[in-house]
Amino acid sequence: MITTSRARFVNPRLGAYFGIFVSLLTGLVLLLMIFEQLGTSEVLLRWGMLLGPLVLYCAIGVSVPSREALEFFASGRRVPAGYTGLGLASAAMGATGIVALTGTFFLIGFDALCLVIGGLAGFVVMAVMLAPFLRKFGAFTVPSYLGRRFESKPVRILAAALIAVPLLLLLAAELGMGAFAAAWLSGQSRGAMVLLLVLAMIATVVVGGMRSFNWSSSGQAIAALLALMVPVAIVAVMVTNFPLPQLTHGPLLRQLVYNEASQGIPVVAAPRFDFMLPGEGFAAVAKRFTAPFGSIGPGAFVVAMLTVLTGIAASPWLLPRVTMTPGVYETRKSLGWATVFFGLTMLTAASVSVFMRDFIMDVVKEGSPARLPDWMQELVRLGFMQFDATASPLVFTSFKLARDTVLLSLPVAAGLPNVFVYFAAAGIVAAALVAATAATMALANVVTEDVINGLSWEPMPKDARMLVGRISIAGVALLGGAFTLLAPTDPLRLLLWCFAITGSTLFPVLVLSIWWKRMNGFGALAGLGCGFTVAVLTILAGEAHIIGLDGALSGIVGLPAGALGAVLASLATPGPTRSMLELVREIRIPGGEVVYDREMRLMRLKNRERA
Amino acid sequence: MMERKERKPYWRHTKWQMLASVVPFLVLIIVLPLYASSLNTARFLGFPLGYFLSAHGIAIIAIFTVASFVNRQDVIDHWHGAHEDN
Repeated sequence: MITTSRARFVNPRLGAYFGIFVSLLTGLVLLLMIFEQLGTSEVLLRWGMLLGPLVLYCAIGVSVPSREALEFFASGRRVPAGYTGLGLASAAMGATGIVALTGTFFLIGFDALCLVIGGLAGFVVMAVMLAPFLRKFGAFTVPSYLGRRFESKPVRILAAALIAVPLLLLLAAELGMGAFAAAWLSGQSRGAMVLLLVLAMIATVVVGGMRSFNWSSSGQAIAALLALMVPVAIVAVMVTNFPLPQLTHGPLLRQLVYNEASQGIPVVAAPRFDFMLPGEGFAAVAKRFTAPFGSIGPGAFVVAMLTVLTGIAASPWLLPRVTMTPGVYETRKSLGWATVFFGLTMLTAASVSVFMRDFIMDVVKEGSPARLPDWMQELVRLGFMQFDATASPLVFTSFKLARDTVLLSLPVAAGLPNVFVYFAAAGIVAAALVAATAATMALANVVTEDVINGLSWEPMPKDARMLVGRISIAGVALLGGAFTLLAPTDPLRLLLWCFAITGSTLFPVLVLSIWWKRMNGFGALAGLGCGFTVAVLTILAGEAHIIGLDGALSGIVGLPAGALGAVLASLATPGPTRSMLELVREIRIPGGEVVYDREMRLMRLKNRERA
Repeated sequence: MMERKERKPYWRHTKWQMLASVVPFLVLIIVLPLYASSLNTARFLGFPLGYFLSAHGIAIIAIFTVASFVNRQDVIDHWHGAHEDN
């Protein structure tokens, strides 16, 4: 039997380990459910659901320490495709994607699909155009890749400085969303919960770096997936008799469309570039669920889709992860898994919003009930829903839901035990931790490799390198926490800005660095600088209402600016050197040794000879 | 290891595969939602067709696109001797 390089590094006991994790998590949920029936205090149950999973994630992270740089920065390059895909799908949009998108689906229906389609397309483009080549190169960070590809330290340092902005935006969005769910669970202040999440992140990954991150985030992603799927599957059985909510809510949706028409919910036609995404507060349903382009115009829909596409395809918090698979083939496969998990999550979010609209519609259809059902009163008590008591008869728009509480409202509306609501909140915390830790690790590795050691191609000595890496992780996590508290903006908006800046800055340069041999260091500098500057200025001008374009759509000018800057500057300056051309040719071929690992090996040999 | 003379044909083959994977997919995801309103008059599995194709349909097409790319690119790698298992 031939043992291929695709399989020889993967730990065969991974399935057993994560089986134990899932059993422990299920046991915790069942135990808390029993305690709930026995009358245990609500406070205890809530803290149990918050801290129990956190302890499990920390235990996974601490149990996989790293002693080698390759393990600390690249998880030993032995993470199988399925786990990589799961992590990529969860980290792409994190908790903001799950929570805010569910609410957005509920409030504006079809129009929220621009973000989902953009995410799916981002993975497709990453799989075909970027990931396999970055895996062959094998650098630990995106700036390291760009610096070596163009043999230019200024490119490396500029890329490191510019990508810090979207990474901090993502970190703030995810910590904000995670702290929201944790604060709701624990009853403590948002600030205290940001600190708790930051400390949990540091404790989880500081021992093993990327190795700890990979395995703990796999656990977090599984927990987030279960917390999203299980309550919805139970509701689907109750409503449609089949536990596949993503596929079986069709007849329910058809009925909902008829009822929405009879309720007089308008079919709105938004102007072409209108981008009326719901904010964080309470809002009533704006339009019929399946009618397109009522809140987001068709032009803005396409631009938002392309912005998310380029943001995810070139994301510096996802790309380092695709270099940790055992090979190029596994990297391509991992993106397939990422598409599966991402699609499944987003279709589940859409079905949650349909179920929730249907539950409210059932109440509205009764006209003016003498008393609101218990679940609605409970939602009002929890602060998830507002209700216009003067409305008579009741209409659909009498009810307002906070965008970020729609996901938590479903188990309450379905009358499930409280533990399911707590489990959903714990899932939000888990999803937030996956994405926040991904951003922290990406930025910490950039600081270690490309800022502190940015002027040298030779890495620091092993122990110093890992020590600096650990200090950077703690520093970046604390900085992210402070940023979250100082800039409490809508997480969904922060996420969209992050995608717009990432797409404009990195996407053209990364794609051209592989697919256009003529590109040189000047082109990379111009592409990075133009894309970033134009995107940031457009966001600022949009937010200040100087121009009529929403900041989230800044990719429409940032992306062409980045591409144009890269192409024109490359053509106006001397072509790439022979060694640069040879490097491009090499990364285009999957076979052979990983370029970065070979460079490190040769450097070690040279140092040994010198000694 | 791949022979030097195979580099150009391999890259040409890879470029065509990239275009075949990405271009139809991008056209589809841009065009399909724009016609969702008129497609919504038809039904599939109880869903309005325009919504179903824009949500479930594009997810399925994305998965199919990546899966077919992985297999076809692997065949191209083996055909030109560029694969990893040497």
